[in-house]
Amino acid sequence: MSAGAMLEVRGISIAFGGLKAVQDFSLSIPRGGLYGLIGPNGAGKTTCFNLLTGVYTPNVGSIAVDGVDVTGLPPHQIAVAGLSRTFQNIRLFGQLSVLDNVLLGLHLRGRHSLASTLLRTGFHVSQERAMAALAMRLLETFGLANRAEEQGKNLPYGDQRRLEIARALATEPKVLLLDEPAAGMNPQEKKALRELIQRVRREFGVTILLIEHDMGVVMNICERITVLNFGQTIASGTPDEVQNDPKVIEAYLGTE
Amino acid sequence: MSKLFEETRSLKAPVWGVIPRAAWPLVVAIAIGALVYFGVSPLVGGFVSKVMLIVGINIVLAVSLNIVNGYTGQFSMGHAGFMAVGGYVAAGIVYYGSIKLWGSAEPAGGILSIVQEGPKAGPLWGKGDFLFVISCLIGGLVAAGAGYVVGLPSLRLRGDYLAIVTLGFGEIVRVILQGSHDQIQPWKAADAAAMPVYELAWKLGGPKGFNLVPTYTTLFWVYFWAALTCIAAYRLKSSSSGRAFLSIREDEVAAQAMGVDLTKYKVRAFVFSSFFAGVAGGLYALDIGAISAGDLNFIKSFDIIIMVVLGGLGSISGAVLAAVILSILPEALRQPPSLVPWGWVAIAVIALVMGAVLPKGKKLKPIIVLVGTAALWEGLRFLATSVHVNLPDYRMIIYAILLIVLMIVRPQGLFGVRELWDLKVFKRRGGGA
Repeated sequence: MSAGAMLEVRGISIAFGGLKAVQDFSLSIPRGGLYGLIGPNGAGKTTCFNLLTGVYTPNVGSIAVDGVDVTGLPPHQIAVAGLSRTFQNIRLFGQLSVLDNVLLGLHLRGRHSLASTLLRTGFHVSQERAMAALAMRLLETFGLANRAEEQGKNLPYGDQRRLEIARALATEPKVLLLDEPAAGMNPQEKKALRELIQRVRREFGVTILLIEHDMGVVMNICERITVLNFGQTIASGTPDEVQNDPKVIEAYLGTE
Repeated sequence: MSKLFEETRSLKAPVWGVIPRAAWPLVVAIAIGALVYFGVSPLVGGFVSKVMLIVGINIVLAVSLNIVNGYTGQFSMGHAGFMAVGGYVAAGIVYYGSIKLWGSAEPAGGILSIVQEGPKAGPLWGKGDFLFVISCLIGGLVAAGAGYVVGLPSLRLRGDYLAIVTLGFGEIVRVILQGSHDQIQPWKAADAAAMPVYELAWKLGGPKGFNLVPTYTTLFWVYFWAALTCIAAYRLKSSSSGRAFLSIREDEVAAQAMGVDLTKYKVRAFVFSSFFAGVAGGLYALDIGAISAGDLNFIKSFDIIIMVVLGGLGSISGAVLAAVILSILPEALRQPPSLVPWGWVAIAVIALVMGAVLPKGKKLKPIIVLVGTAALWEGLRFLATSVHVNLPDYRMIIYAILLIVLMIVRPQGLFGVRELWDLKVFKRRGGGA
């Protein structure tokens, strides 16, 4: 319950019919923190993300970003409040160019009235140019600038993951939620991803919450980790504490 | 303060002035309208001019429907309904407006809006032209209002479900309009002139249709609006709003996560699209001087959908091309003209241009298809004339077969999501106005 928490989640729960997908989930991440959320398959990690980003509305509990309550807001308003995410199964705008994907991330910080669009007012043109410049800069940071004109779906897998992160960062988030960014990557790519996440945190100063299946990635870079199983928080603490928690070991390896 | 805001403020305002940028579409639209009306029309004669007029109205319809079906990926089947709304409003304003203002339902336009063959003479602009222009605009605005109403349920629905809602809307419009009261005939103009406007507003002819409306639509106005529609659709597509439309089509969940307000943009697409459908309805009604809700049923909607799908969902140039082809084809099949010699010259030129423009390795197939189609056409014609088959009897069958073949050969439509100007040769770097 720290006062200056960037993301403050208090006791959110959701049930789908009789299935209690997430129960009494709480989390508090300080400004600039890098926290992890782990758990076996079906533990409710992605459901948690969907609750945080407004895809689902929690039955009880509250969510605040930088002190602003966003509980129950629709997804686009939560994005405006400063919560941005990537998806477990990549959700790029496949037929749009790489540049357009990032430009859509910039969309919510601009003003786009129908009249100024149709009349091409000076403001509209300046804004479009500013968007293009910012998007190109972002693509350069991620080493994607030379592929700006390609369709999103034609990028190799690793680039698609990076583009998703770039797109999420274009929204100028306060909190970045990464949903299994290392899924389907080989050890080298995972190492590069770890470095990328740390660089993003350093250069963009965002607070990061990471869902990960791969223990290696989370244990190395996260400051604190929350472990979910069957929708319930079974452990929370530093990587060392969590690693040695008998309940976590049980959840991952099963009992004898 | 957001980075985008800072960046925008740090940029100098664009050198090119605000007024020219806002106004050039109007200038271009007037130029295109004038070129077609004064330049092309007298050369090609009455019948071809009439076909061109249908082509132009269909361009407006296809390009506007493309905004809903192509850009945002919502499947609307009610475009004819919006057209009917606009058409009836425009026809009502012009008919009863003329009676109220100058006591008779005779056309009172200048040469821009009086249909006449051959060289044009007389005053450029008549008193009726104001009424006509305003009626089309109001027709479009009322249709846009209807688009807003239909756009609202589309927030919760997508795919087949939305298609059914829009289909229902089209039918409701048709049935309501067919339930309107009898029209006050032109020879009772004095009665109409004495009646208050709100009573006249519902005397739209009912099942008999709304007839004897003064005609104003000429090639000038049709191509003026066609150009304006295309430019507006282009400006929309190549802007942030347009990207938001496209993102909804690509992935609604991701679009929302990027802060795109689905409600706002879906409704915006419907409103924008139905405005131009309403204008097209006005042009249509004031071309033939009559409008009947029975003609603007879901079959008309399907005709427009076919154009959009054939051209490639999301492509403006595709929608235009498909509107041209599909409007000409049924007419051309009435009296199949021979391609010798000028048709072949044109095809050779198009093939050469394609050879120069298309990327390497992708040249052969389109050119073969083009030449093959032309050869098939000629062969069919030869066959028909030699065994005395009356081709026009089979024209709708041939039309349907052509559609099937095109969809098998190019399921993504003629252009896919791409545009004519996306081809490598036209590609310029950087953004522009």
